[in-house]
Amino acid sequence: MTDAQNGTKVLRAHAENAYADELIALAAVDDRPRPPSWQLSPWAVTKYILGGTLANGVEISPKYLGSERLVEIAVASLATDRALLLLGVPGTAKTWLGEHLAAAISGSSTLVVQGTAGTPEEALRYGWNYARLLAEGPSRAAMVAGPVMRAMETGSLVRVEELTRIPSDVQDSLITILSEKTLPIPELNEEVQARKGFNVIATANNRDKGVNDLSSALRRRFNTVVLPLPDSIDQEVEIVTTRVRSLGQALELPADLAALSEIRRVVTVMRELRSGVTQDQRTTIKSPSATLSTAEAISVMTNGLSLAAHFGDGTVRADDVAASLVGAVIKDPVQDRVIWQEYLETVVRNRPEWKDLYRACRDLESSN
Amino acid sequence: MTDVHILGIRHHGPGSAHSVAEALSTLKPDLVLVEGPPELDQVIPLVTDPDMVPPVAGLIYAVDEPRLASFYPMATFSPEWVALRWAVSTGTPVRALDLPAAHSLALKSASGVAPAEIPADQEEAVQPDAENSDDDSTAGGTTATDPHQAYRPDAIGLLAEAAGYSDAERWWEDAVEQRSPDPAERFEALIDAISEIRSLDKRPVDHPDVVENNRREAAMRRILRAAIREGHDRIVVVCGAYHAPALVPAGFPPAAADNKVLAGLPKIKVSVTWVPWTSDRLSLNSGYGAGVAAPGWYQHLFDHWMAPEPAGDVATTWLVRVAHALRQQNLDASTASVVEASRMATTLAAVRGRPSPGLPELEDAAQAVLCDGSPLPLALVHSELTVGRDLGTVPDTVPTLPLLADLAGSQRKLRMKASAMEELMVLDLRKPNHLARSVLLHRLALLGVDWGIPTDSGRTSGTFKEAWTLQWRPELAVSLVEASRYGTTVASAAAAFVSEEAQAAEALATLGRLLEGCLLADLPDGIAGVVSALAARTALQHDVPPLLETIAPLARTCRYGNVRGVDVGEVRKILEATVVRACVGLPTACAGLDDDAASAMRRAIDSAQDGMTLLPGLPTDDWHTALGTVASSDKIHGSVAGRATRILLDAGLVDANDVALRLARRLSVASPAPGTAAWLDGLLSGDATLLIHDRRLLGLVDEWVDGVPDDIFEDVLPLLRRTFSAFSRPERREIGEQLSRTESSSHAAPATYLDLAAAGPAISTMARILGWEAPA
Repeated sequence: MTDAQNGTKVLRAHAENAYADELIALAAVDDRPRPPSWQLSPWAVTKYILGGTLANGVEISPKYLGSERLVEIAVASLATDRALLLLGVPGTAKTWLGEHLAAAISGSSTLVVQGTAGTPEEALRYGWNYARLLAEGPSRAAMVAGPVMRAMETGSLVRVEELTRIPSDVQDSLITILSEKTLPIPELNEEVQARKGFNVIATANNRDKGVNDLSSALRRRFNTVVLPLPDSIDQEVEIVTTRVRSLGQALELPADLAALSEIRRVVTVMRELRSGVTQDQRTTIKSPSATLSTAEAISVMTNGLSLAAHFGDGTVRADDVAASLVGAVIKDPVQDRVIWQEYLETVVRNRPEWKDLYRACRDLESSN
Repeated sequence: MTDVHILGIRHHGPGSAHSVAEALSTLKPDLVLVEGPPELDQVIPLVTDPDMVPPVAGLIYAVDEPRLASFYPMATFSPEWVALRWAVSTGTPVRALDLPAAHSLALKSASGVAPAEIPADQEEAVQPDAENSDDDSTAGGTTATDPHQAYRPDAIGLLAEAAGYSDAERWWEDAVEQRSPDPAERFEALIDAISEIRSLDKRPVDHPDVVENNRREAAMRRILRAAIREGHDRIVVVCGAYHAPALVPAGFPPAAADNKVLAGLPKIKVSVTWVPWTSDRLSLNSGYGAGVAAPGWYQHLFDHWMAPEPAGDVATTWLVRVAHALRQQNLDASTASVVEASRMATTLAAVRGRPSPGLPELEDAAQAVLCDGSPLPLALVHSELTVGRDLGTVPDTVPTLPLLADLAGSQRKLRMKASAMEELMVLDLRKPNHLARSVLLHRLALLGVDWGIPTDSGRTSGTFKEAWTLQWRPELAVSLVEASRYGTTVASAAAAFVSEEAQAAEALATLGRLLEGCLLADLPDGIAGVVSALAARTALQHDVPPLLETIAPLARTCRYGNVRGVDVGEVRKILEATVVRACVGLPTACAGLDDDAASAMRRAIDSAQDGMTLLPGLPTDDWHTALGTVASSDKIHGSVAGRATRILLDAGLVDANDVALRLARRLSVASPAPGTAAWLDGLLSGDATLLIHDRRLLGLVDEWVDGVPDDIFEDVLPLLRRTFSAFSRPERREIGEQLSRTESSSHAAPATYLDLAAAGPAISTMARILGWEAPA
């Protein structure tokens, strides 16, 4: 099945499929030294993430809009034998960056361990096919390799999402894997030794409380890169526009994004509430409990896009985004609602050009 | 035929310094010329003195106007320093070549914009604070504050940037040092590149920077020509790379052309010396034009390159030092992490397409590996490691002004070391050594040399304790040079300075401050000058508030002057005369004041009152009579009248009944509320004892507040709030409690409901006991 067909059938294609042509183009011009098992050189990986025009005229779309320095540090980390830890508040493209790094470096972003409060050790190591285990006794054939073990065997990158959600005792099983690059199998008196090119990209959220903080032994096996929220409103608007457009294509929403002003408005609302002060630095406002990251702005806009496409005339208007905007801001039904209403009455109302948004939000309130 | 080698260097570039060192030892010239004004020649031999520790700076100043000065800072890793040291230690003749500072400073002075143009890439023109405080509106502010305007490009920095390097020094290492084993050849190759850069300069010929540069290069060529004529075999010229192409003898313009450029330049008398410098002044963030961002890093590079057998790789050794610095801050930094960080830096350099890691790569790697991605720990070590905290020293033999020598002597005697770090010194004035230190610092402060800044000595009201924040900044040397025209020792200079100031001072308050300054700085000679000025001024002074404000400093002088062995007889006479004059004028001076004038007057009265209570035997009767007149007049601003009443009340001259009466009158409905509030403020501000202990007053105030109409209440509220917010929290609580008690007692009476039927039996029994006839 070709990538194009794949792209039309699955809801969300893997990075390596969605951008297969860019990866091929990069590999064609990439004549710099590649670390063992890497599909591209570090320079080409950086180019793939940050975008740009190649010598042969192929345009590479930017995947991560932000500090070039951070991407370089991340790529360089993976070329050493320390693992990479991407840290940041929710919605700062940690997972997104991790997926693209894996796609560009190993050609596959599918080896993932999703960290949850209930992630068992088997997810990081290996499990057993119990029917076979009972019938044949312990053997390699009766083993079910986890993503980490498969990555070690193939010498590729494995991603561990939400590392800090994983219980501490399970986290610690990563220590041997990361420091000695081996995974012992005591049942068979064997071990799996990682091939060159194996490495781990972990993501963790530094906002949530009550997570399992990394032990210092594990922490020093990672190089840490802290991903910030976008600096400027223009950068954030650009990120939202790019992502909403590509999501809209994937979801086959026929709406147009001419209404850039709507994106700017949503991003402005999010930034203002997040920072606790209005754009002109004049008015102090309260911040709600929600993170209100760029990812939230993207989902609000996609939601609005979908509403406009299916129930409206295809143009995103204030009432299309209002509902999901309110939903994104109000996470705590009592306190956040007060904060939102205060914001609505003191800031949104005083902006004449935002009259439609104010009206739409007020209509929602009264209908509730 | 003379063999001339031009070594175009990067100022403060360790790479250049290394190459210069190699070039000198292979070329073995019989004359070395180093960029810098020829005046420096007299002090060059001192560079090999064992007490001469960089960073130091050559200081050239105009003798008649010392704040017109230029600094030529040099660190160990400065190529000029390396060249000077090589020449002096091998006995090779060495000279400075540049436009004489006598001309450049004169030009600077003539242009009226003292430090606007920085004549040398490597120097800093200093504008001491005295200049800033002058209201000098003619000085072109923008050029004066932006040294980059006049700053010639860092030619080698540009070349490195073009080659994709983040760090010009790493470029030097890779592109210049590695290219050729013969150091002289390296410099030859550079000259061509620099000529290219210079040909890109599109500035017009009459641009002030271009004119300046031409003048300097003409002067350099003149010196070089003269040296060639002397018939040396081999001359090495060490100068900024930018000037290198202009100094190649083959390309010299005719001597006459240069002489024309240099003809008729103004000239002033200058003096030259060495002063200690600090590494943090070498760095860019001190606003130093040709500064380097990371002196600590450069020092590291230089030490590494100059070591005969360098230990390890330059990047790794740096990271080891970062780890050490982090550990000193109690942050974890294991050896394994240093290994990783070093690998990371190398990879990062490869990702960025750079041949070797520079400081940006090392810092990024340290942040990601050693600091968990957080920039804060790195900031902790930055000022210590990357910038450095070195303070240079100069030997005692440097030609120095008597004043500087005197200060150095006092510093030694009192064991006070000048340090570039900010440190706190708490002095106990009962100890002779500490007292002497305090006196020295006070004298310097009078002279405008702010080495120590008085700091809050913490929670103590004792007068024997004094705290200072000490920090030696190199520009203080200029202040000292400037102060040296007043005298040859710190004491005599301070005394002369004070006398001069006193003669010039118009305001009595300034004189009072000077007088106190003299007291603290132990300047009996100075006091005499100030006192005679005071005597003349107080007699002529008609304005009452300044008179009032002089009372406190004079009284303090009398009170404590004896302790410090000052003859206070004369001061006391002036003080008494001042008090009498002030008392006579007070009532009329208080009439017809607006709010601002009233608050100034109140401050003056308060300060005078402080002075009056300090010294027994002053004419207090006159003072109280004057205050009585002020207090009893209804025409005087409420704030002042209220204050006078309070002072009299505290002195026991008005009793509480009287005050209550005045309060009631002031608070009555007929008088306007804002005036009343001001009076109340005058009466109550300070401490709340009055309100807490006099229920009647509190009741009256409470009643008045209750009765103020709503619209006026809004006007009065800020004043009242100001009065009450000055009270301490327990005092406010006490007042609140008292009020709530009064309220409940006053409301309790009418609220009690008498149930006559229930009380009937008790009342009749009571009546019977009393022998009254019980109702039937």
